[in-house]
Amino acid sequence: MNQPTVSFLARHEFLIRRLHSLTGIVPIGVFLCIHLAVNASVIEDVTAFQKAVYQIHSLGGLLPFVEWALIFLPILFHGILGVLILLGGSSNTGDYPYAENYRYLLQRATGLIAGLFILWHVFHMHGWFHFRWWIDGIAAPLGGALFRPFHAASTAGAALQNGYVTTLYLIGILASVFHLANGLWTAGITWGIWTSPNAQKKIWRFCAAFGIILAAIGTSALFGMRHAGKSETFETIQGIENRMYEIRVELGDIRSSEDKRS
Amino acid sequence: MTTSGKPASFEVRILRQDAPGEPSRWERFRVPYETDMNVISVLQKIAANPRTIDGRDVAPVAWESNCLEEVCGACTMVINGRVRQACSALVDQLLADRPGEIELRPMSKFPVYRDLVVDRQRLFRSLVRVRAWLPIDDYSDRGPGPRQSQAEQEQAYPLTECMSCGCCLEACPQFQKVDLSEYGEGTSDEQRNAAFDRSFLGAHAISQAMLFNGHPIGKTSAAERLDALMAEGGIQVCGNAQNCVAVCPKEIPLTTSIARAGRATTIHTIKKFFDH
Ligand code: HEM
Ligand code: HEM
Ligand code: SF4
Ligand code: SF4
Ligand code: FES
Repeated sequence: MNQPTVSFLARHEFLIRRLHSLTGIVPIGVFLCIHLAVNASVIEDVTAFQKAVYQIHSLGGLLPFVEWALIFLPILFHGILGVLILLGGSSNTGDYPYAENYRYLLQRATGLIAGLFILWHVFHMHGWFHFRWWIDGIAAPLGGALFRPFHAASTAGAALQNGYVTTLYLIGILASVFHLANGLWTAGITWGIWTSPNAQKKIWRFCAAFGIILAAIGTSALFGMRHAGKSETFETIQGIENRMYEIRVELGDIRSSEDKRS
Repeated sequence: MTTSGKPASFEVRILRQDAPGEPSRWERFRVPYETDMNVISVLQKIAANPRTIDGRDVAPVAWESNCLEEVCGACTMVINGRVRQACSALVDQLLADRPGEIELRPMSKFPVYRDLVVDRQRLFRSLVRVRAWLPIDDYSDRGPGPRQSQAEQEQAYPLTECMSCGCCLEACPQFQKVDLSEYGEGTSDEQRNAAFDRSFLGAHAISQAMLFNGHPIGKTSAAERLDALMAEGGIQVCGNAQNCVAVCPKEIPLTTSIARAGRATTIHTIKKFFDH
């Protein structure tokens, strides 16, 4: 029977769902691990974090392209499809209160929280777009785009001084980390890597340990950054960052770019 | 309360419906307690005296049952909120878990025929979709079939125990009821099957596909089964809630079948990509 009404989404449901699973791990999951680890380098000292940011920004004009191709678009794809997927389910933990069923519910809840957090967080720090008119005219007046790459620790830290903001970050970190750790476990079933209940139980313990470690890294990053941005240390750290900037410009590592500083 | 600590009687709340598409309503019955009752004997007591607690004489409650020993799956219903077989649901146990009252509902993922009787055609349609049979079309004597190793037998045997009861589908958060009402009164078989074929297969069918793909003769149509598992409504709809395996009365390792099907479809996709 000819069925012209079957949508693109329906015809390719299998491949699209596998792509959803894949994007959750590569690149998004990998990004989250690196992002939290790099942010946590601020506890060691602010220069370590600043060096890492210089490294990222050495991509120069390519950076927005890399950001969109490897981070923003995969997150948008995974997130929008994730919302469609969660709308297609009907949680029933009330009648079937099993651990895996709660995790099914939590996977959806944390996905939603992570999605809302990322939207706000990227606006708050990064501003979403790099266009000058957007940053100056819209993002900054609305309290976004607070991060200055060449004043990395001080500006990120200053943006995290408010207690409510810190709480929202903590929720965002924990939701994202649970979603990744549990997603790693389900993805192994989706792709058929761990099949027996025994293997699934063992791997769950591994995923839980991974999640706890990543949550600890993320939480220390948050409080480390908060510490770096405190008013007592802010000036000192900006001084360190200014020296690093001047040396780099002198060495010719970077061109002077005031918009990444103020 | 009687001296043995058992109640003299208990209440049974039943979600009733007169015919397909009709509205449903709750009715309450009081049933005298006897030792060793199960939910089927409770329904028999109500059938013998179909009078509600508020004294109305009503039509007897309809239900299905055959084997009375948890092998046919016909009596599957939602008992105290959990899907299971009525014949193996013991009243003493139910009253110990929730004193004084037993609640009976038809399964919610299938259309109701009447009261506790549902139409499970979709469940069987899923078995057709994944070709859950051996592809032998004639009666000629082909001699003894290929041997199965002990390990293969041990993997297959639990999967053969499926009785198509529907528990795994009822409890699955990804398995939604298919609404056929848009087709109106006279839904044709083609329309109905087309609607079923776009919806989730369910854990039982995924498991049966793996059973027949592991069989030496069944293997000859393994690729078709994998294609069916990857079509719309296939294995990708599973969200790994693992309720199916928790409620299956036959303790069939459904999530192992699902993961093995995940692996087989992964490999099948790669093969199709490079071999075509
Ligand atoms: C942006 C908002 C997001 C939403 C709405 C969302 C939603 C979902 C949903 C509903 C699932 C379950 C899919 C299924 O059962 O088939 C899922 C799986 C997954 N998500 Fe997300 N997610 C989001 C963000 C993220 C992020 C930031 C990461 C990485 C840290 C991530 C990593 C994963 C992984 C690894 C899986 C497992 C895939 C599988 O089971 O095969 N997701 N997501
Ligand atoms: C410890 C808490 C965190 C801190 C201090 C932090 C800090 C930052 C900063 C400063 C930026 C701006 C980078 C730039 O503009 O170049 C950023 C971007 C970003 N963050 Fe976070 N972040 C944290 C947690 C998270 C979490 C939990 C997620 C969830 C996945 C996340 C996702 C992102 C994304 C997607 C971007 C945009 C990527 C880009 O700019 O290329 N962050 N973060
Ligand atoms: S594991 Fe899959 S099939 Fe089984 S109950 Fe969960 S979503 Fe449904
Ligand atoms: S797999 Fe188990 S729960 Fe599902 S239909 Fe078969 S016997 Fe019933
Ligand atoms: S009557 Fe056969 S399973 Fe209950």
